[in-house]
Amino acid sequence: MPFAVQADPVSPSCAAHGRMTAMTEPERVVGGPFDDEPTGSVGLEEVPEGVVLAVRGALDLSLAPKVQRAVERAVRLRPALLVIDLTEVSFLASAGMAELVRANRQLQGQVPVRVVAAGRLVLRPLELTRLTDELAIHPTLDDALAAG
Amino acid sequence: MTRMEDEGPETDALLTALASAFTGPDGRPVPVERLALTPERLARLHTEGSAVLRPTDGSAVLVLDDTQLAALLPGATAALVVLDGHGGDPIGNGAAPTAAPTASPTASPTASPTASTAATAPAGHDGAVALVTRAPVGRSHLLAARAVAAATGGLRRAVDALRTEAAVIDALHSVGRRLTAQLDIDRIVQEATDAATTAVGAAFGAFFYNLVNQFGESYTLYTLSGVPREAFARFPMPRNTEVFAPTFDGRGTVRSDDITADPRFGRNAPYHGMPEGHLPVRSYLAVSVISPTSGEVLGGFFFGHPEPGRFTDRHQYVAEGIAGYSAIALDNARLFERERDFTRELSRSMLPEAPAVPGLELVTRYLPAATGPKIGGDWFDVIRLVDGSTAFVIGDVVGHGVTAATVMGQVRTAIRSYALLGLPPSEVLRHVSALLDSFAESTFVTCFYAVHTPDDGLVFANAGHLPAVLLRADGTIEQLGEALAQPLGVGTTFPERTALFREGDDLLLYTDGLVESRSRDVTQGIEWLLEAVAGLPRPLTGEACDGLVQALTGGAHDDDVALIYVHRAGAGPA
Repeated sequence: MPFAVQADPVSPSCAAHGRMTAMTEPERVVGGPFDDEPTGSVGLEEVPEGVVLAVRGALDLSLAPKVQRAVERAVRLRPALLVIDLTEVSFLASAGMAELVRANRQLQGQVPVRVVAAGRLVLRPLELTRLTDELAIHPTLDDALAAG
Repeated sequence: MTRMEDEGPETDALLTALASAFTGPDGRPVPVERLALTPERLARLHTEGSAVLRPTDGSAVLVLDDTQLAALLPGATAALVVLDGHGGDPIGNGAAPTAAPTASPTASPTASPTASTAATAPAGHDGAVALVTRAPVGRSHLLAARAVAAATGGLRRAVDALRTEAAVIDALHSVGRRLTAQLDIDRIVQEATDAATTAVGAAFGAFFYNLVNQFGESYTLYTLSGVPREAFARFPMPRNTEVFAPTFDGRGTVRSDDITADPRFGRNAPYHGMPEGHLPVRSYLAVSVISPTSGEVLGGFFFGHPEPGRFTDRHQYVAEGIAGYSAIALDNARLFERERDFTRELSRSMLPEAPAVPGLELVTRYLPAATGPKIGGDWFDVIRLVDGSTAFVIGDVVGHGVTAATVMGQVRTAIRSYALLGLPPSEVLRHVSALLDSFAESTFVTCFYAVHTPDDGLVFANAGHLPAVLLRADGTIEQLGEALAQPLGVGTTFPERTALFREGDDLLLYTDGLVESRSRDVTQGIEWLLEAVAGLPRPLTGEACDGLVQALTGGAHDDDVALIYVHRAGAGPA
């Protein structure tokens, strides 16, 4: 969102923004200028092998900041491994790829980063930009978690 | 708003106490029945009796007269009616000046209820319980009723006042939320006008506001509520007369029980008051809308009612509250619009006019996103090099808004600079990528760089950008440079490739907005592009390129689109 709404001062969604997930979101006007809401989502899960960051839906400019914050949260958990699971991603825009590169480079030498990508929706953009050369890409989550 | 329960333990205790106050002439208790009264039955009782069902003090207990007694229960000798818990001035709306609440801000927009219509439904939506006896009674129940009335009257008034207060705050809160969630000025002003007109119980309301057009000239628009626009269309804009000036100058709220009696009224030619045919206004309330960031007066709300004395302190308070929210919403919208215009202008101003190149026919396009507020970082460039070659550049900076636009400007200039040094494509991209790496924020820029040499050659490198389309004179189509290298800011080496580019051949460079979106994956998008191009008569005209964008994006591209189309016409007039 390019712009912060000046919300009602008594509304808690403003003060606690960014920390709370259960808070009521401000009302949105359908067809309004805030249409640029992410259609995708990001989830974080701790598994014995490390942390899995699962992205769903469109990984584009509107969702990319959430991915970035999720990566930062994941790092604070000091995982042995970070897997970014794109299995459920329906659209991978360049903004999303930029986040993958950023995570990979930011964690270089600290935490191994693996990306789960299967299917042309996600693989084709990674191939066109040759990020397949840079990222450790695995076809399934199991494979990413199991890989030595 | 929390409501008190209708029949709590307290009501029950009251009923029990009052029932025990019914005594015979000998002072002994008499049997008392309880009858639940629906609001309808209560209303009927009211119309049948005299005026005693109007507790002007707001108390909870009423005494029935003989007619009402007979209607209630044949043979009844005495009855008290205990009203259910609440209802805010339940009977005789408007008959109790001390408790007269404002018209509820949540009332329907057309609501202008008169006291008489409200009074035909004495208990509003609330029922009551009647305590009735058929035994001969003395006066003790009347004394008890009077005591209860005296004890509860003030309390009920206080509760009613608090409820009204809470309703006002509720209404303000919800209007505020709606208004500040908007960035569309037209919607903000209309919604604010409607909400405020309803909330203050005005017969009609208007909001006049000032905007500045692209030439920096100020102009005034208005919205209306409660009255069709035609009713105002014939009148000129209100001028800064003595009545209006305090509002337009932001000198505070003007409220008048009868504006026609105001000394400031009617002093200006030509109308000396309201123009002929103007809606009659006696009660008048006007509130300025002042920007919280700049202190500038953004506009003013004006409310009117044909009856005098309609607007109270409470109405003024609500109107000022809505004006405050409107100011925030308008400020937001203006700031947002300014940013959007600024970014659009910035990215537009950084896009070049393609130079005329002998032997080449060029079509270039840059289209900002058709939906949403986004301005992207797409760009194109056509550069004539000193050795007679021509460089074609197309690229996409990740992100939107001012940041993307400024990065784009820098990258475009960097590429231009290295290109003019005569560096080959792979070197141009390598230098730019290294330069980007030194930027504080990590950037991700895709770019296709191609140089047409005077000898039918095309030399190109591709930093993670979509492949170019080469259309041969014989109709065959090939894609150039797919997945040659990583984006700028990511990759370090950018291999070069060559192709023939002869008379009759065409080259098409484009950005991802043309072929992909949330609903269209890039593989599919490129296929559609190739099919569409194959079906077009060549060379492509500017209109054909526009049609291509329209056909591929459905006119609703949510990303920006840039493209360069080059037709190699031949030796030409050079």
